[in-house]
Order: sequence, then C-alpha cells, then structure tokens
Amino acid sequence: MSAVLVIEDDDRIRLSLVLALEDEGYAVSGASTAEEGLASQRSRPADTVLVDLMLPGIDGFECIRQMRRTDDVPIVVISARDDTQDIVEALEAGADDYLVKPVAVKELTARLRALRRRARTVSPDQVPALRFGDLEVLPEAGEVRLRGTAVSVTRTEFQLLCELAEHPGRVLSRQQLLQRVWQYDGGDERLVDVHIGRLRQKIEDDSGAPRHLVTVRGLGYKLQR
Amino acid sequence: MKRAGLRVRVIAGFAAGALTLSALMALVSYQITRRSLLNEREGTAVRAAYYDAAVVRAGLGSAVQPDVVAVLGSLDTGENRRAVLYRDGAWYGSKADSGLRDAIPAALQQKATGGMAAVQRVRADGAPLLVVALPLPDGDVFYEVDSMQELQHTLGVLTLVLSLVALGTAAIGAALGWYATRYVLRPLTWVADAAEGIAAGRSDARLDPAGEPDLARLSTSFNHMVDELSARNERDRRFAADVSHELRSPLQTLAAAASVLNKRRHQLDPRSATAAGLVSDEVDRFQGLVNDLLELARSDQRAERAPVDVLELARQVCRERHTCEDVVAMTGSGGMWLVDRRRIGQLLGNLLDNAEAYGGGATAIRLELDDDRGTLEVDDEGPGVSPDDKLVIFDRFVRGRSAGARAGGDGAGLGLALVAQHAAAHGGTATVLDRPGGGARFRVELAGCRP
Repeated sequence: MSAVLVIEDDDRIRLSLVLALEDEGYAVSGASTAEEGLASQRSRPADTVLVDLMLPGIDGFECIRQMRRTDDVPIVVISARDDTQDIVEALEAGADDYLVKPVAVKELTARLRALRRRARTVSPDQVPALRFGDLEVLPEAGEVRLRGTAVSVTRTEFQLLCELAEHPGRVLSRQQLLQRVWQYDGGDERLVDVHIGRLRQKIEDDSGAPRHLVTVRGLGYKLQR
Repeated sequence: MKRAGLRVRVIAGFAAGALTLSALMALVSYQITRRSLLNEREGTAVRAAYYDAAVVRAGLGSAVQPDVVAVLGSLDTGENRRAVLYRDGAWYGSKADSGLRDAIPAALQQKATGGMAAVQRVRADGAPLLVVALPLPDGDVFYEVDSMQELQHTLGVLTLVLSLVALGTAAIGAALGWYATRYVLRPLTWVADAAEGIAAGRSDARLDPAGEPDLARLSTSFNHMVDELSARNERDRRFAADVSHELRSPLQTLAAAASVLNKRRHQLDPRSATAAGLVSDEVDRFQGLVNDLLELARSDQRAERAPVDVLELARQVCRERHTCEDVVAMTGSGGMWLVDRRRIGQLLGNLLDNAEAYGGGATAIRLELDDDRGTLEVDDEGPGVSPDDKLVIFDRFVRGRSAGARAGGDGAGLGLALVAQHAAAHGGTATVLDRPGGGARFRVELAGCRP
C-alpha cells in the first residue's frame, strides 16, 4: 500500500482528502503545518507528499525546499493560487507537479499513479549506461554521473533525463515529454521547462549556456554529447 | 479629406511664411534694381545721343552738299548704338540696317518732328531697344537706337538668383518648422511612449514632471491617472485572487467529500443514494462554473503564445471528449501555430461541448493557417442558431433555447463567452454562421499565428 502525506492547514480540506484517498486505497497521514509535515516525513517517509502553499509558519515553498534537501520523494502542490509566478516558484523549489484546487479525486489519483510509476520498461538489449560526453545516464541503476561523480536528481528529473537519453540527439517536444514523464495528455508546458532548468543546474557547467541539454527553439529539447 | 497632422501643418505654415516673405523681398529688390539700372542706362544713352547729335549737326552745317551717310558713319557709336537721321523726308542710317527705322515708333517720330526731344523703350524682334530722338534745326531729326540686350541679360540673372534665394529661404523655413515641431512635440512623444509602455504591461512607466516645466501639469495628471489605474487593477486582481481562493478551498472539501459519498452509494438506502448522487453531480458542475467564472474574471490577461501543434491539440481535445478524431482536418500550410495552448484547448473544447449539447455533436473541425491568420471552424448538423440567438450567443449566461437543446442543460452559458474572450486575447473574433446544408458553423479567427 502506497503511503501519502497531506500537508494542509485547512482541517476540512485535509480531512476530506484523507478520507477520499483512503477510499482509493492509499495509507494517508495528515499534517497541519510545514514543520509537522517535515518531521513526519523524516520519521515515517511517505511515498508521495501533497502540500498546500499557504501554510502558517513555514510556507509551502520553503517546506518544499527543505524537504528537497534530503529527499527525492515526489511532491505535488495542491493550491488555490494559480498565478504563473506561484506555479513557477513552487516548481523551482522542487515540486514535481502542480494542481489547482479544486482537484477531482479521480484526477488526483491519476497524478499520484503517474508519479509513483517507477517500473520502467527496459528492453533486453538496453545498454547499462548511456554516455553523452562527460555525462552518463544509467537507466537501470537509476544513476546520473557527471565526470564519474554521481549527481543527485529527483525521481521525476531522472525520468525526464532517461526519456531524452534514450533518444540521443532527437528532439522531444514538451507535449511528448509531458506525456511520457507525467502521463499528461495535454498539460502545462511550464512543468517541463522548470524541470529542465533544474536539471541543467545539476548537469551543466553553465546552466545559462547548456552543452548537453539543449533547447531547440519552437520544437522542444534534446540531449547531446 | 483626411486632415493633415499638426506637424505637417506647422511645417507647411513655416514654409509658406518664409516663401511669402522672401518672394516679397525678392520682388521689391528686383524692381528697385531694375529701375535704377534702366535710369542709369537711359542717362548714358541720352548723353551719348546729344554728343553724337552735336557731331552730326557740325558735319552737316560745314558743307553745302554734305554726304549724310559719311557724316553718320564717322560717329563713334560702338557695338550697341546705331544712329539714324531723318532729313527732308528721307531716312539715313549709319550702317546697313534698313529695318531700323521700323523700330522707331510713330508717336516718337511725331513728337520729335514737333521739335521735342524724347526717349522711349521699345521692343523689336524680341530685343529690347532704347530710342532717343533729338530734333535738329531745319526740321531734321537725329535718332539713336540703343540695344539693351546685356541689361536684359543682367536682369535675367538677377531674377534667377532672387528666385533661388526665395526657394532656399522657404526650404530653410520648412526645416525650421520641422525642428520646432519636433522640439515642441517631443514631450508628447514621451507621453505616447509611456502610454504604450503601460499598454504593453509595464505598469511602472511614468513621466518625469521635472522634464519639461511647461508640461508639468500634463505629466502630473498623467502619472496620477496611471497610479489610479494600476491601483484599481491591483485591487481587482487581489479581489479576483481572494474570491478564487475563498471559493476554491470549500470546493476542494466538497469535491473530496462527495467522492467519499459516491464511493459508498451502494451502502446507502435508495433515497440517500439519490441525494449523494445529486450532491456529487452538482459539485462537479459547480466546479466547472467556478473555473469558467474565474477564467472570465481574468479577461485582461494576455495570451501566452508559443508554437503549438494545433492539429494534434484538436485531436487531443476530441479524444478527451470521446469524439471521433477523424472530423479534424487541417488545410493550408504548417501545423505549428503561435497561440496560447491552454486557451485554444479550452476554446476548442467549449465549441465541441456546445456542438454536443445543441447540435448532436461536431461533424467537422477545420483548421486553416492563411498567412498570419488562423481560422478554426466547428460544424454541427443540429437545428442551427436562430437569428435572434446569433446576436447574443457569445454573451455571458446565454443558454440555447433551440429545440435540440438537452433538457436541463448542464452548462451555465459561459462556454461561448469564454470562446469569444480567448479569441479576443489572440486579437481575433468568434462568429456563428449557418452551415450550408443545415446546422451551425462556429468560426474563430485568430491573428498573429505564424510562428
């Protein structure tokens, strides 16, 4: 049974989400503040974290940042705020997806399933390591190495990198990446852009002038040597 | 007729003023110069004629039978002057120009024959001449005809120079006018730049009240107006954000709680199960309504354009609604349009929902990129839209009254209003037409779609 942590200060929303997700077969725990949520995640790590942005004390953005320092758990923001600024800031802080309230339970479980999907279809003739110059992607080992040193990436970032690495030199559109990594049929392209930005900070020497993970204007992204 | 701009009018005014002044000056100076040159010339000619007349009189008086032609030939008349003598009803010329006497006007001859000296300017064969008539004793008359060709030439050069000066002055006047308008209108350019900046979303664009003391009032009131506007915008934005937050949070609770109820419907007695079903359905509808209202409230937001594969987007919208993708067709060049993906997806979805609710489903979706203009058309084969409905169909909270409408329809009448708003955000329009062969055709035109 998959464990979900809900960090939400509104008691009614938290309770209703806990009930609805339990009905869908998740083991759900709730936290009403970021501090409580961070402590809970440290003591009993959940498989997925849902977090509201407007929290008393430490706000949602800071909560995501702190959690990301030690944890690669998928984090989904559920917020009533839908300004571009909030969405981008939350994603940059390290969130994997962003949902605007009200979210239908069906949609929420679909998102949770997409993010939990870890089993990758690895074909038998799959080479263990994909090399792009000084960058190495090891799909089976779940590792990324830059000049031999392991780079810490989140699961979603890793999945995104694998999709691009399995098609070396080929351009994948934002919509294709949304479909393959997030399983969105027509989603918000900012998800891809912000995740690419986060990846660049980890695997590029100069994230402003990327060598491996390049943008192809008007088309999408590709990974090259 | 189109009214000329302020700048053009000021420049034209300056040029016309300068031209009038310089033309007047040129005319006056020409007249004065001409008169003084002519007077001087006339004086010289008369003095020379008196001198020659004295020579002729002496020559004629000294001999009993004088040789008139020889006497005239002895005169030192130079190139320009020619002497003619009228004596005893016969004409004598110094040189072989017999036509010369024709140039002497009759009035002058009469005067001279009457014993009076006279001067007259005449024109012969297009050449200006000065004729001096001096009566001699015994009824003889001595004429001297002076060519003024070179004076004419001098005056011609003067005319040319003065005209050029006048035109030059007019040009300088126009240039001055151009400079003056540019200088005077420059503060207006600042205002225009600031206004454009604000329209483009730079809400911090302001005028410097110290920039131009004469326009301090304009700058101050302009800045005040912009401050007021941005304050109002900010209030509206915050209000929409607050309302959205206040509506969304309880809706989230309702949605999750309704899902729990729905999941357990089979455990409830029939009455409670029906009620739970109603609650669940209405929460869904309410959610849709709130989302549409919030979208409408953000009407001032611009389209976030990016290259979008519209054909694929349309197919995807069809898939989501379980409509057959085969109705989508693309004509014209290029599958990539520069549009706001979210808005166009919603626009197409709303048109499909509308066709489903009132027209029995969409039968054709056509996409066409022509030059810079993208056109989307959604056809249905329902009863069509009545002329009355056509006028208001894109207004808010308007719901179809057509016979084919699904009873109790679940839309709030915001779908087509959003279509119109999304079209407007792309600098375009939404219209409804009659489909040839029956049914309705919704056409959306979008500007600036070429990537």
